[in-house]
Amino acid sequence: MNPKTISYIIKRLILAVFTVWVVFTLTFFIMHAVPGGPFVGEKAISKAAQQALEAKYGLDKPLSTQYFTYLNDVVHLRFGPSLKQRGRMVIDIMADGLKTSAKLGVVAAVLALIIGVVLGAGAALRRNTILDRIIMVLTTAFVSMPSFIMGSLLLVVFAIKLKVLPANGAAAGGLILPIITLMLYPMAYITRLTRSSMLDVLGQDYIRTAKAKGVPAGKIIFGHALKNSLIPVITYFGPMLAYIVTGSLVVEQIFAVPGIGRAFVSSIINRDYMMIMGTTIVLATLIVVMNLVSDILYKVVDPRITLE
Amino acid sequence: MKRLVALALCAMMAIGLCACGDSAASGTGAADDAAAAVTAEAEAAVDDAAAEEGEEAAPAEVDESLIAADGINVCIASEPDNIDPALNSAVDGATLIIHTFAGIAKWEQADDGSFTIAPDCVKELVEGEENEDGSVKYTYTLLDDLKWSDGQPLTAGDFEFAWKRAADPDTASDYGYMFDQIVGYDEMTETKETGEVDEEGAPVVEYVNPDSELLQIKAVDDKTLEVTTKQRVPYWNELLAFPTYMPVRKDIVENEGWATDPSTYIGNGPYTMTAWQHNSVITMKKNENYHDAASVTMPAINFYMSDDANNMLTNFENGDWKLIDDVPTNEIAALKEEYPDEFVVEGQLGTYYVGWNVNEDILPADSGLEGKEAEDARAEIRNAISLLFDRNYIVNDIAQGGQTPASSFVSSGLTEADGKTDFSSKAGHNDGFAGYYNVSADALESNYAAAIEVLKKYYEFDEATQTVKNFPSLTYLYNTSEGHKAIGEYLQSALASVGITMNLENQEWNTFLNTRKAGNYSIARNGWLCDYNDPISMLDMWITDSGNNDCQLGKGAHKDVKAYSLDLTDLGYDTKVENGTWAETYDVIIADIKSCSDPEVRYELMHRAEDLLMSTGAICPLYYYTDLYMIDSSVKGFFSTPLGFKYFMYCTVEE
Repeated sequence: MNPKTISYIIKRLILAVFTVWVVFTLTFFIMHAVPGGPFVGEKAISKAAQQALEAKYGLDKPLSTQYFTYLNDVVHLRFGPSLKQRGRMVIDIMADGLKTSAKLGVVAAVLALIIGVVLGAGAALRRNTILDRIIMVLTTAFVSMPSFIMGSLLLVVFAIKLKVLPANGAAAGGLILPIITLMLYPMAYITRLTRSSMLDVLGQDYIRTAKAKGVPAGKIIFGHALKNSLIPVITYFGPMLAYIVTGSLVVEQIFAVPGIGRAFVSSIINRDYMMIMGTTIVLATLIVVMNLVSDILYKVVDPRITLE
Repeated sequence: MKRLVALALCAMMAIGLCACGDSAASGTGAADDAAAAVTAEAEAAVDDAAAEEGEEAAPAEVDESLIAADGINVCIASEPDNIDPALNSAVDGATLIIHTFAGIAKWEQADDGSFTIAPDCVKELVEGEENEDGSVKYTYTLLDDLKWSDGQPLTAGDFEFAWKRAADPDTASDYGYMFDQIVGYDEMTETKETGEVDEEGAPVVEYVNPDSELLQIKAVDDKTLEVTTKQRVPYWNELLAFPTYMPVRKDIVENEGWATDPSTYIGNGPYTMTAWQHNSVITMKKNENYHDAASVTMPAINFYMSDDANNMLTNFENGDWKLIDDVPTNEIAALKEEYPDEFVVEGQLGTYYVGWNVNEDILPADSGLEGKEAEDARAEIRNAISLLFDRNYIVNDIAQGGQTPASSFVSSGLTEADGKTDFSSKAGHNDGFAGYYNVSADALESNYAAAIEVLKKYYEFDEATQTVKNFPSLTYLYNTSEGHKAIGEYLQSALASVGITMNLENQEWNTFLNTRKAGNYSIARNGWLCDYNDPISMLDMWITDSGNNDCQLGKGAHKDVKAYSLDLTDLGYDTKVENGTWAETYDVIIADIKSCSDPEVRYELMHRAEDLLMSTGAICPLYYYTDLYMIDSSVKGFFSTPLGFKYFMYCTVEE
């Protein structure tokens, strides 16, 4: 590997740590600036009891002290106890959620990629046929339909009318609908991306040369055309991941999937400071790392791109 | 070369993913120190789980093997925050606790549908002996051979430990005050100001003697428990059946995470928790060590968890769940039609109301009124505004959940001294209707006319349009929710019809609580659900220093307003106050109620307290809460108490 690439990766890693730190710091101070607190409830507890609780979790200390204590904890991967679900550690709750969310996200991403590329390539090769038209109409629909509408629609059809799939994301087979909901947008996007870039590549001189030289059609498509037309798809990898992470917040809510997205949303409502910080750090790290990986992959598949 | 790089990158990605997984997994093994090395056991467990997951064709979150096949599937709420009896303060948590723990007393339903409190772990619920100073000592004898679900013997000492722990200021339980009738509680919770102030400028307070040993609770021997209350407490037996009063064992709760793991969640109730799949389902199986196991007919219960009413309904409709405790509001009307037998509306002990901030000046700027006159005028205006709302419209067309229009603050369902007559039916002392207003549909016009008369007295009035001119504009504060919004919009339109401008402002829940508590509002949505069947549960929240005194009665400028009178001489008290402050009147009557041992006098005092409260006009009740749920018609033997605790142990499911 050339030294330039290595230094680029190191630079990006440092930047990634910096980004996560900025997110961490902003979230920490904004969270404390928002009115309310973890021990506020419809039925008030006594002032002394509230102060005792705050002292127990170190929330009575000056904000700057709390910040540095917590930063130190996080650096050592200590995320602390949940303030709302007393007795449980943030890391346990996140682990539970992450297991489910990762399954949801990874399956959705992989399916989106495979189906998207196949459909896109198919549409490009059968350009202007009925197949192409159908694919284009459907993908347009999927791209323009927000996931909460798509989710509700699937819920009504498959869970309520046909009763073939459960509505509850926690039940057996319950992740099928959420995965489809989450997958449709990136899948449609990838289809369109693959189709246009494939058409572009198919019109290039080297494809014509290959054809003239008598290279078999299959080899042209898989060996030359498809490979090169995937570059834009790879650049989409980062944004897709961001979409899947944020999209899962909505989808997990609709299908009651016990994932990290739902834990994140409810921790904000509850002002569970420890949980908010934990989930924010994990989600931010995830997005930053995946973006980095996608940028590097980009370089690997297209040597013309220089990393700086 | 290129391949190598690609491979390296793939590996990096994989490591990235694993790193996330690992850091997460390490917590499960070593909860206290996430940085500690993952124990071999935990790692193995994670591997196993991964292997199992790999084998499944469809992604399934719930491990079906942990679910009781012979159990009833129900859904009462989403994942509970806490099911430690001392720390839980939610109704759904209470339902889980009463299935896994047994206290001194329990709720029972008679054949006629009425509820009684029966002895559970004791031979009888004793009357108690009155001491000379008026305190009452109760001596309970535990049943023979009581056992915990792990087989260890249950002793009176476990009750002593559990109660002291729950009341202990160190535990900081939301429901610590449920023990406030026990001798020693006041001393234990006494606080003093340290002289320091916190970041917001409020004085920092600390406990003087936060020692739970001060409480008069004592296990005389393994089977005898003695407890002394400050005076005769009318709802004492009910407290004994409350989840906060359930026993816990010292060696179990010393592990801080004990209530989050089925293996350490040891109880003494009808069921033991066998699995808790977080956010998915809690499975309970019959506890053969429970002393009354013979009467438990349901072998197991799967408590599914969901916070989405639509999702609950779907599962109910396709027959998976036999009971759901929430339904989508916009489906209520249709569901009532479609499922007349399954759709249940149960009264709840609570009131939905609009609360005024008494420090908000609603008089016109040039009214020239001051002191008591101004306060009386404001009270009259607030009460007049209460007459403008059509509560039947609110419950039938907006809320739609079978609620009852409210004409008093103390909820319908709370009873008089006889335990049968509704307290609210005697409220207000009016002829022809119960409560402080006539909320029947045909009284609408006369209410409206009466309200207009009052408004005319204080504001410029335009006869042509029948509207007031110089009413200061109001802002109605509510927490973000479609239901509260719809009610706010109705109130807004009702006020607009008489020329009062009320803007709507919604705030997210936690912010809303904060704003309301601090009194930074003019008028706000409010509601209260009782902790026990006694009107004091609703009345004592309005004393000056109460943390729930959102209307700011006796606080801020209202502290010095001398506008209230109280005469209790006819009841044998020497209290007679004319034009006193809120603290000199309301706080006094509440203290009298708390120390009163004559039920007749006590209830009379409570009616007078409510009269005083309602005279301020600070509270505009809209409706009494109801609990809506749907239960499959095949389920027999189910009941839900007035506090909303749901009992599944005596259920059977007909095929």
